[in-house]
Amino acid sequence: MADDDDFQSSSDLEGADCYFSDQDDVLEETVLQVLEDGREEDCHWSVSSVITKESLLAAQKEDLRKVMDLLALREQHARTLLIHYRWDVERIFELLEQKGKERLFSEAGVTTIQHKGLDLPDSSDPVECNVCFENVSRSTVTEMDCGHYYCNDCWTEHFIVKINEGQSRRIRCIAPKCNAVCDEAVVRNLVSARHPDIADRFDRFLLESYIEDNNKVKWCPSAPHCGNAIRVEGDIYCEVECACGLQFCFSCLSQAHSPCSCLMWELWTKKCHDESETVNWITVNTKPCPKCHKPVEKNGGCNLVACICGQAFCWLCGGATGRDHTWSSISGHSCGRFKEDQEKRTERARRDLYRYMHYHNRYKAHTDSLKQESNLKETIQGKISISENKESKIKDYAWVTNGLNRLFRSRRVLSYSYPFAFYMFGDELFKDEMTTEERELKQNLFEDQQQQLESNVEKLSMFLEKDFQDFSDDEVMDTMSHVINLSNVVDRLCKQMYQCIENDLLYPLQRATHNIAPYKSKGLERASELSLCWDSDQSMSVKTYPEDSYAQQNLTANGSGATLPGRHSVILHGSSSDESGCSSRKRARTDGLGGAARFDLNMPAEVVDKN
Amino acid sequence: MLDVSRVQKELMECNRDKAISGVSIVLHDGGSDLSHLSGTITGPVGTPYEGGTFQIDISLPSGYPFEPPKMQFITKVWHPNISSQNGAICLDILKDQWSPALTLKTALLSLQALLSAPEPDDPQDAVVAQQYLREYPTFVATARYWTEVFAKRTSVGIEEKVQKLVEMGFSEDLVKNTLESVNGDENMALEKLCSG
Repeated sequence: MADDDDFQSSSDLEGADCYFSDQDDVLEETVLQVLEDGREEDCHWSVSSVITKESLLAAQKEDLRKVMDLLALREQHARTLLIHYRWDVERIFELLEQKGKERLFSEAGVTTIQHKGLDLPDSSDPVECNVCFENVSRSTVTEMDCGHYYCNDCWTEHFIVKINEGQSRRIRCIAPKCNAVCDEAVVRNLVSARHPDIADRFDRFLLESYIEDNNKVKWCPSAPHCGNAIRVEGDIYCEVECACGLQFCFSCLSQAHSPCSCLMWELWTKKCHDESETVNWITVNTKPCPKCHKPVEKNGGCNLVACICGQAFCWLCGGATGRDHTWSSISGHSCGRFKEDQEKRTERARRDLYRYMHYHNRYKAHTDSLKQESNLKETIQGKISISENKESKIKDYAWVTNGLNRLFRSRRVLSYSYPFAFYMFGDELFKDEMTTEERELKQNLFEDQQQQLESNVEKLSMFLEKDFQDFSDDEVMDTMSHVINLSNVVDRLCKQMYQCIENDLLYPLQRATHNIAPYKSKGLERASELSLCWDSDQSMSVKTYPEDSYAQQNLTANGSGATLPGRHSVILHGSSSDESGCSSRKRARTDGLGGAARFDLNMPAEVVDKN
Repeated sequence: MLDVSRVQKELMECNRDKAISGVSIVLHDGGSDLSHLSGTITGPVGTPYEGGTFQIDISLPSGYPFEPPKMQFITKVWHPNISSQNGAICLDILKDQWSPALTLKTALLSLQALLSAPEPDDPQDAVVAQQYLREYPTFVATARYWTEVFAKRTSVGIEEKVQKLVEMGFSEDLVKNTLESVNGDENMALEKLCSG
């Protein structure tokens, strides 16, 4: 693993293999890279949108309408069907082919065939309710679609019990073995007559089913809760940003942790919170006092140790002794016998602790840097405004903000790459998946990339911290080209590292499946406001990426900022964005060729290409 | 909350044809609490439980009949779906498949059906279930023995007890009534008889 080089000091001289001072080379190379990457990223396509309290109903209605239109169903039946099949419209259409309408409906508890009036006697005589065994007048009896009838009091009681049990989404008919789900309008009417609050709860449960019973929608895990949910189309192993600003992993709902898999991250956070490592340290470095049993650390000198309680004991065996001693022996005490078992255990604990500390220190160092660099944001804004007001021909300082955002994003990747490596090359998860030689090979491959990334990230950080507002124009141009080049290099290295992880490290694994949220060159996209008309792709893509969200995104500190609009970079290079997002380049080309209207740069290339 | 009138109707309905159905329900310990009952089912013919009489403790939650009744075997029984330790029953209609349109009588009849058709794949008692699947003849023998020992003792025992007490000089009718009122406890019956 990397030794403790100071990357900052060596930045200018070393690492030339990935640091290009010649801009054109970089550009050419990145364009090629981008063309390759474009294909890679297709399988990880995903789009997220925010569902707020207000849009929840509309979102649900949309799916309902699809099913209602295709199967000619009433809304309540469509809802029952969708709840049963977890709001997966495509699956319903699929199953419709396989099973046929009849079975599809009956399994979900939908009764569309009218059984009504078959069992209930016609006369106006009182009828007997089969639950309370009372004779009641016909006007107080309700019959469900399935043809079973009971008195309204019994229905109401049944509904209330089921709602209180949390089964609002599937309240079945009272009749034994009847699979039919009760008409929600009947439930609502009867229950609200007696307990309006429970009826409200019933309605809310039905509404929230769209989130609770849906694999593609999850509540935002913010605390206090922002009230939003996020819907993801496409690959669900992705990281999203809610409208409230919280970034999280859609799959496990914890903080964004790519390139760690959810399992790795869970283990890592547990390990970091756990005291187990502290315990390990105590085992390795201390011995319990034989009298007061407090852990005692040896602070030098001979092997006769005295606890603060006054008890003297032998450091070698931990046994209590007298206080008389010479340099090499303690009077009346000999414990030279070798105990192999204990020795081995201590050795192992020491090694594990050392390994964990290695990865944790680096993870922590980069997380701390990230925190410090986010303070840089304000300072840099100040520098930019000074520069902009200066007498100078350079008026555009977008490269600084771009570079800073690139720094945040790559710093994050770098810091999470350490827990990834800890598990990838440790015994805990993949011990039986690789031979020692394989592991060593892969570890070297990965660490090479990690080190390259690390040194370039540090260089980028160094250039961004320069006081460019005091520079001459030439110096500013020089810094700018360094920042832009380094941004490109760092972005490419991140991409390569993800490719290495996916193709060389995780793909060959036989048993374990670890899904890693894909690398996003432009940072996490904030989930868009839910578009309510999904009829055309056009309206979807436009609404999914509102342009004004760019301003908000740039204010968030976690490196989530969006790409600056392409015109800045056009001025600088006459080519494309210095952010070198693969899709944005692709788009720039499409734009140039088609000569069409200005595209939102935050749109994924696929959407643009389609248009 | 408990629907008292329904429970009363159920008791009447159930006990009307107990000779034919083989199931009956009385208030627990001859008390007056409608939410605590005792059910009796006869062992189905052609099973190891034939000839036995099984006591079932029934307690009704306040939400009955919209919530299922709680049932438990008092008589020890060797059956894959009934705990040999405490008589707990594993039966779907007593849990999520309960319907308010079912009654105590239908539930007891279901228990009777469970005695004739065990479901060892969904066991309550793993030991019994394994024996049922692997050594069926041993299972039958054990179940029959348990029926003999635990499910018939009271009936056989009562005759002996009556005999004993009659020999002490009490009239047979009085002895039978007294024994019934104390649930067949010989000592308590004697005490009661002596105190007049």
